[in-house]
Amino acid sequence: MTLQTTALSEDDTAIIARLKRPSFAGIDRVQRRRQFWIAMLFLAPAVILTTFVLLAPILFNVWLSFTKWKKFTGLDQFAGLANYTNLLNNPQFGEASTNAVIWVTASLVLPVGLGLIFALSLRGLPFENTLKTIIFLPRVIAPTSIGVIWFYVYAPKGLLNAGIEAVSGAPVDIGWLYQDNTIMASIVVTYLWQNVGLVMVLLLLGLAAIPKDPIEAARMDGATPWQVFVHIVLPLLLPTLLVVSMLSIIAGFGAFDLLWVMGLGYPGRRTLSLSVYMYFEGFSKGSWAYAAAIAVVLGAITLVVTWAQAWLQVRADGLKG
Amino acid sequence: MKTLLSRAIFGACLGAMSAITAIADEVILTHDKAFYSTFLQAVGDVCGFKEQAYTPPEQFKAFVQSSIASGQTPEMFTWWSGATFRDEMVATGQIAQLDDLWAELIANGSFTAASADPFTVDGHKYALPLAFNKWVMFYNPTLFAKAGITGEPKTWDEMMADADTLKAAGITPFVATNQDGWRGFIWFEEIMIRLSPEKYLGLFDGTTSYSDPVVHQAFQMWSDMYAKGYFSDPRSNQEVVDFAGGGGAMNLMGDWAVGLLTQAGMEVGKTLDAFVVPNVSADTPAGMIYEASPLMISVEAAKNPAVMDAMRCWASDEGATVWANTSGLFMGNLNAPAPNAIVPKINKFSIDNNAALYSRWWEGVPADLQGDSVAAFASFMLNPTMEQADKVIAQVTGLHDAYWAEHK
Amino acid sequence: MAAKFIDDQTGEVLPFVPKDLMPLLSRRSWAILILAGICAVLWLVPFWYLGISVFKTTEEYTFSGPLGLPSSLRPLWGNMIEAWTAADMGSAFLNSAIYGVVGAGLAVFFAAMAAYALTRLHFRGRGFWFMLIFLGTIFPFQMFLIPLFFGYSKLGIINTQAGMILLYVAIAIPFPTLVLKNHMAQMSIEMDEAARIDGAGEFRVFWSIILPNCAGSLVALFLLQFTWIWNDLLFSMVLGNRPEIRSVMNALQVFQGNYTSTGPNVALTASLLASVPPVLAFVFLRRHFMEGLKV
Repeated sequence: MTLQTTALSEDDTAIIARLKRPSFAGIDRVQRRRQFWIAMLFLAPAVILTTFVLLAPILFNVWLSFTKWKKFTGLDQFAGLANYTNLLNNPQFGEASTNAVIWVTASLVLPVGLGLIFALSLRGLPFENTLKTIIFLPRVIAPTSIGVIWFYVYAPKGLLNAGIEAVSGAPVDIGWLYQDNTIMASIVVTYLWQNVGLVMVLLLLGLAAIPKDPIEAARMDGATPWQVFVHIVLPLLLPTLLVVSMLSIIAGFGAFDLLWVMGLGYPGRRTLSLSVYMYFEGFSKGSWAYAAAIAVVLGAITLVVTWAQAWLQVRADGLKG
Repeated sequence: MKTLLSRAIFGACLGAMSAITAIADEVILTHDKAFYSTFLQAVGDVCGFKEQAYTPPEQFKAFVQSSIASGQTPEMFTWWSGATFRDEMVATGQIAQLDDLWAELIANGSFTAASADPFTVDGHKYALPLAFNKWVMFYNPTLFAKAGITGEPKTWDEMMADADTLKAAGITPFVATNQDGWRGFIWFEEIMIRLSPEKYLGLFDGTTSYSDPVVHQAFQMWSDMYAKGYFSDPRSNQEVVDFAGGGGAMNLMGDWAVGLLTQAGMEVGKTLDAFVVPNVSADTPAGMIYEASPLMISVEAAKNPAVMDAMRCWASDEGATVWANTSGLFMGNLNAPAPNAIVPKINKFSIDNNAALYSRWWEGVPADLQGDSVAAFASFMLNPTMEQADKVIAQVTGLHDAYWAEHK
Repeated sequence: MAAKFIDDQTGEVLPFVPKDLMPLLSRRSWAILILAGICAVLWLVPFWYLGISVFKTTEEYTFSGPLGLPSSLRPLWGNMIEAWTAADMGSAFLNSAIYGVVGAGLAVFFAAMAAYALTRLHFRGRGFWFMLIFLGTIFPFQMFLIPLFFGYSKLGIINTQAGMILLYVAIAIPFPTLVLKNHMAQMSIEMDEAARIDGAGEFRVFWSIILPNCAGSLVALFLLQFTWIWNDLLFSMVLGNRPEIRSVMNALQVFQGNYTSTGPNVALTASLLASVPPVLAFVFLRRHFMEGLKV
């Protein structure tokens, strides 16, 4: 808090105005201290805001997950691992976790696979830029808007059923977003539509960074395009694929908008994913501590994925170099 | 730069402070019924409070729960009656007793003593009624006439026969949807009280298990009605429009829906009327589902005369009249005009038949189980086979048996 | 990483299928082109559906079905008015605009200040301070929700514009800090050294030398963060639900339930309107986006 008050004081700004940055060699102790405080002034808004609005809540959330915080009373008795054992014993948590894994896997494999195909095959085609722009277009729309649009695409009297009717000639009445066996696939398709453009662009970035020489050389030696792709392009593209995949996984576990908006009429909406389940337990049922534990599980998953990415990144870089 | 920055920070602080003080000045009624906002404000203009809506209900609940948890109970707010009112809300100790106010209201004859029952916990009264609603079968007389039906059904079998007639005339008998995710219990509770009110009430305290044969029978009847094509598409998310637009002849709903239905173009007496669903067996006593919405104040706010005045005014003839005229809702004040022709008709039925009033399923069951159970009912409506019913029954039985094993 | 492929005018293409080695359009290319064309059409179908639906009245939508073409363009205006009134989109737009502009603006400015300190000033523990700021983006948003909800309730800033801005500023700081730190680290130190020798203070150096030199990145980052804030649904649902406070994304939910008697045509019109600002931000400043990502 002292930093905040200093940020506005006349004296310190005067110091900043007067102070010239000396060459580092000849820095004396007083000047070094001044440098430190000037730096603190520059850092203060960012550090204060992120500490109090982002980091403190995370710590509070972790603490909360070990308490017995009840709705209304807010009694914060320490409860040890009770919330976590409840998690493991609750079939809904199992359902939500299973769905989350299915969702994350599908929302990773399909966009990356299709994105790679687009990135590789659109190159050099006529209308290349137009095609790329069209594929990227959904990414520009707000996710909530996308959810609403596709909610009506999948509606019983919606676009998809009408389209199938027009093609098949028979009446179709599938509630895509109301049935256990279709809802997840339907939302994944929407997610694919929304995100494949971004994945494609990121992979194109990776492709553009690949040196031409080894490819030229391989072609001279008579390698087929497929051999070139598998033996040269793919290994060089690996680091990019890795980053894109890890980002997809993290985004997948946190995904909320589409699942929430499109799951509106589905009785199992709450267990569509861990992120939705956490929102339900906390903000609908008032099981705050339990919901905090779900959030911690999500946080732990994210940390593991981030760590794994860093580790694999080092290995992939080693492989490349 | 410095001045710009400090001005920005100063401005932000000032803005935040003025926002807080603006709220502190007036008596605020916090609620989750955004569709009543203008009606509530009409009463507020007379009674000196300002309404403030939080939607959807989930966020409102979260807001109230966290406010109470952090010791800042809203001064005047709405809630739900039943288990959550008794076991959760009043149990916080933050809700002011209104025994004196009720004594006044009963003494001057504007309310019956019984109308305080839903808000009484351990002999003390903790709320005024925002509305006191009964659940009825709305029907469209024009569509009934089109199918050649005259008069309202007096027995369950007559109602089913009417449904057959309507179906034969190409009219969907009942509009029933899962809109907003909470409507799954409506038909379940209605069939239950028509079959066995005792078993129904037993669901609330664990004396009836959901594995009881009566529950199974209720699902069987419900499933049969679906099989005969009596119901509209449960996946619609515009129930009011469906019914008002002639998408079905009947709609089971609280009498609070009159306002919504007339807004959507229906006309009471011409295209809109209502009857109380008849019992399956003639031996069962007359009864119907009620829904009472409490209006409460915090212990802290009860010390503020402005808040007490607003509450007194709410229940007064003047307040109740404005409320009835704007919202079309009946709060229980006998001196207020009937908000529409349907409310007195249902009240008359209630008095003539000495009808028992049963709490809605939503308010009756433990609050922690509401959401999960109603989602299970909704899954039945989407797949109304007995196979699914057995799954739903097993699921709900599991939830409730586990709860009652822990809370006996 | 170069971003040249984005405009692609440079012809800097990956040559594992070199153009010059192939006939201009081989049979295989034709097949790919046709497949790509089909994909593109499929990708456009939802847009086409959106495009025709906003020109239909509710009756028209119900009776002509989702495939039918609208009979006139006039219903758009009525749909817009209904969307505007049913969900109070006017104040929602204003709120989202305030959150987006003030939130992203302050966040990028604070991030630039932090990045300046981290790259131009010499003091101990730079890594620590950077990690402290950056740590905020590592965790999933779900971890913030409950504590912020309680904290905001306690401070009385829940459901206030000031509260929403506070959150959006904070959450939008770490990413620009990372990008700007990398950018500023690449900028030559000579020009600010020269300015310091001429007697300029650190704020002067920051304001008149460093900031103008990062203008492209600043604009790009502002747009990115603006779009993120505009599109946010989760925090708006938790911290800002009152009709006067809620954002556009939150207001969109009104059309999906809550007793409003509007048809899909109105909901679709509203979702189209809600996406106009992010689309504009993207279209007009596409180049800035890409420049910002380049670093």
